[in-house]
Amino acid sequence: MVDALQEAHRILVDRGVFVDARPDSRVSARVRATSARGRVIGTIGTQRLTKMDDTMSDRAVRDVLRRKLFHSRRRGRLWHAIPFEDIGELNDYLTDHLRFSRRVQWLVPAARRRTPLFVERAVRFEILEKKSNDGLTSA
Amino acid sequence: MNATASSGRTFPGGLGFLRPPAEIELGAYGLDLRGLRVADIGAGEGRLALGAARDAASVLAVDPDRGALARGRAAARRQGVSNVKFSEGAAQSLRLPDASFDVVIFSWTL
Repeated sequence: MVDALQEAHRILVDRGVFVDARPDSRVSARVRATSARGRVIGTIGTQRLTKMDDTMSDRAVRDVLRRKLFHSRRRGRLWHAIPFEDIGELNDYLTDHLRFSRRVQWLVPAARRRTPLFVERAVRFEILEKKSNDGLTSA
Repeated sequence: MNATASSGRTFPGGLGFLRPPAEIELGAYGLDLRGLRVADIGAGEGRLALGAARDAASVLAVDPDRGALARGRAAARRQGVSNVKFSEGAAQSLRLPDASFDVVIFSWTL
């Protein structure tokens, strides 16, 4: 990961902009009923190994900031909703998902899980700027 | 069935629509790409690259998946986008010159 960030740094002009955007595994995805703005009826966590990978990515970004290759200009988060016709379709989606936990943590009884369902996930991003007078050193 | 993003706008989609639309994601970044050289590393089928091409001077979409790159090229042809190039490569060892881009995007790449 640090290698990839160093490559990004290398191909950027001075004061060029680097964008790192990733699903935010620190926040559970929300399952909403009937619409993308409907009531939250469940949550979906992130698999443990994926969280560990995300932690490594965070460390890599912190590393290039610490080494003053970049400085952070801005951070933010956006939300993205994925529609599912019914619970079966959602379960199929989760069965072989690489990030999400395999099952929904339902917050309401089965009778109140109205469809369609919308899985709303957080995507976080950080805008970094390449320092013009960089101090590139080995990782 | 539609997919939505944080702005509340709706977009045509379905189960294949698993990432935010390019205009929403790029809009969230708040960058003015006009006239800039952009590299989208880990570009896949060019979802963001094709979106960025609307404003950028040029976009290079890099991904190790040849199939995804071929689909991206086809999408660019369909959409009449001529300022995007697709190139095979890995983020860890980019075969690109030093200081050749104004913006580098890693979206779902790290």
